[in-house]
Amino acid sequence: MNGIIQNIFVFSSLTIAVVFLVRKFVWTPKKKTAKTCGINDCRCH
Amino acid sequence: MPKQINVALIGNPNTGKTSVFNALTGLNQKVGNYPGITVEKKEGVCKLPRGVKAHIIDLPGTYSLNASSLDESVVIELLLNKNDKDYPDVAVVITDVENLKRNLLIYTQIKDLEIPTILVINMSDRMAYKGISLDIEKLEAQLDTKIALISTRKKQGVDNLKDLISNYQNLSIEPCLSTQDIDIDYFKGLKKAFPNQSLYKLWLVITQDVNFGKISRNTIKDTSSFKTKKDSDLKRLQQKETIKRYQFINNVLKEGQTIDLKTAKDLRIKLDRILTHKVWGYLIFGIILLTIFQAIYDWSSVPMDFIDNAFASLSDWTKNTLPAGAFTNLLAEGIISGLGGIVIFIPQIAFLFLFIAVLEESGYMSRVVFLMDRIMRRFGLSGKSVVPLISGTACAIPAIMATRNIESWKERLITILVTPFTTCSARLPVYLIIISLVIPEGRFFGLSYQALTLMLLYLIGFGAAVGSAWILNKILKIKSRKFFVVEMPNYKLPLFKNVALTVLEKTKSFIFGAGKIILAISIVLWFLASYGPGTEFNNAEEIVTEQYASNNLSQIELEQKIASHKLEHSFIGIAGHAIEPAIRPLGYDWKIGIAIVSSFAAREVFVGTLATIYSVGSDQEATIKNRMAAEVNPILGGPLFNLASGISLLLFYAFAMQCMSTLAIVKRETNSWKWPILQLTIMTAIAYIVAFIAYQFLK
Repeated sequence: MNGIIQNIFVFSSLTIAVVFLVRKFVWTPKKKTAKTCGINDCRCH
Repeated sequence: MPKQINVALIGNPNTGKTSVFNALTGLNQKVGNYPGITVEKKEGVCKLPRGVKAHIIDLPGTYSLNASSLDESVVIELLLNKNDKDYPDVAVVITDVENLKRNLLIYTQIKDLEIPTILVINMSDRMAYKGISLDIEKLEAQLDTKIALISTRKKQGVDNLKDLISNYQNLSIEPCLSTQDIDIDYFKGLKKAFPNQSLYKLWLVITQDVNFGKISRNTIKDTSSFKTKKDSDLKRLQQKETIKRYQFINNVLKEGQTIDLKTAKDLRIKLDRILTHKVWGYLIFGIILLTIFQAIYDWSSVPMDFIDNAFASLSDWTKNTLPAGAFTNLLAEGIISGLGGIVIFIPQIAFLFLFIAVLEESGYMSRVVFLMDRIMRRFGLSGKSVVPLISGTACAIPAIMATRNIESWKERLITILVTPFTTCSARLPVYLIIISLVIPEGRFFGLSYQALTLMLLYLIGFGAAVGSAWILNKILKIKSRKFFVVEMPNYKLPLFKNVALTVLEKTKSFIFGAGKIILAISIVLWFLASYGPGTEFNNAEEIVTEQYASNNLSQIELEQKIASHKLEHSFIGIAGHAIEPAIRPLGYDWKIGIAIVSSFAAREVFVGTLATIYSVGSDQEATIKNRMAAEVNPILGGPLFNLASGISLLLFYAFAMQCMSTLAIVKRETNSWKWPILQLTIMTAIAYIVAFIAYQFLK
């Protein structure tokens, strides 16, 4: 019984860790980008 | 009056804006980014009289509302957008008592946006030194606002400022300059086309290409009843506007400010003469750097040993106390060991940030920028490139963002490309652990060999950055204008509160930013090291017992053999063996290979990974350093971490890019994948070649 519970915790932790890493480095939700920074071309457009 | 109001702190760089922010908010502050861009956003809460709360935003330092960088455009976009949740109910413009004339330009512009504006004259404690006296009543009358004369250093005037903020509704919103003074006909036409809009806001929309409400630059251009001007004509009008504003400011200061140069006592010139001297300046800078690295080693050794032992004991305690099983092993061998590998470096990182904060706060950093400009120019960089290169010792990401104030695109691009060579704090854990394993503890003229090695690595990083900048300057054919303007703030004794908050904030973001990634990677690595496919892994006990049946091994020795066999045939062991042929010429085994690959997420993961891999199956309470020192080279015998492999690893990390987030930020700042990919390829190739040569030469 203890073994099963411990394994459930292990696989849950693993799933959370993998999802976190994928969201962090592979798939990140797109955010709105800044529009402009003046009429001088500072190459941030 | 609303229960919570928005207050924007605005001002030129070096006016003590952050000190005012810290004085108002204390520890009730947080740092983030503006949505979608990498400009730092500092906000906090301040309690005002009568139970009102002020939500304070510390906006990026800007000289005027004529934006030439992304940082400055953040200020304008907020001030023009009434629908923004952070749109200020009141603007607080921070000025420095010694630079009132220049600092007042932005005040007049913000006042013209019809936002209630309070003027803060900071650093009032320096008035006597400089022979400055102010007639606040006259200034208030001329500038049509309320003034708070404060000294954050002496903690004077902050309560008065809070009172003024809470009474912001009584402030006048009359503009300082009439737009008619710029060009009567042009603004008459504009007024006719947009009768219900603020003319100054429309003017900013036209000249800065920002939007407010539904009005954009194109909307104005497309309006048939109004004809806008060419860019060159608009520039001329902008210049006229600035001249008019300075005329207004001159008149104000003639009435309200007197400067008696006879009573001024100034050490600044004398100090500048020494600190920016062509010989003494560099010598002093070198001595300061040497002191910093020595201090990082000497001061942090005690807390580091304590943390290392505490984590080893915690891991042991967890294993002995919790019920035996997979999750207990994950906690003891994966999570605690992995986190221990990063927490141990808090003291050293805090000391590094402490020194950087003190140098910046004291005004010395600007002298370094000026001093280094002479050298930097020869390598195609600007004096301003020194700030990113020094900030790079903390983290390459803010350092690359700090290149935005470099005016020339070519110099900026080169700085972006070479900054990742500088030794960031994420490299520090790797360096420290390897140095402690392979460099002896002796001293040379009172300086430890280990501290000297660390300083040498920093110099290698800096040298690589400057050297590659020189090459890039020759190769890149980009035409751009070059000029160098730097403001030299006055020397100040650093404020303890500012330094402490900076150290706290930077260390926190390092630990929590990297900590989450390390925690997740530790879990994944532990899983990959504790599970494996096939009979070799699943029947490890039978295979090893049978293999060593005639060797009379003790129970502990046999268990270690089984753990080692399992690790070698686990998922991570199989992956490690697959990459081993590529890294063996550098003196690394498959375990180091795995640590290098996983540290591409963040360099400091290297130590956490090794801590996790070496912990798996280990029943002994041991520190990370002891575990690494005990590793044996599987082919040559002897310690795996010896001088040859250690130096090879140090040099590999000195040159390798090894940071996903830096790649992402380079892509964002250059607006192209071309530069980050080129950067990654070249840096990895250099790292591999240098590490290969070092190992083959020293082995």
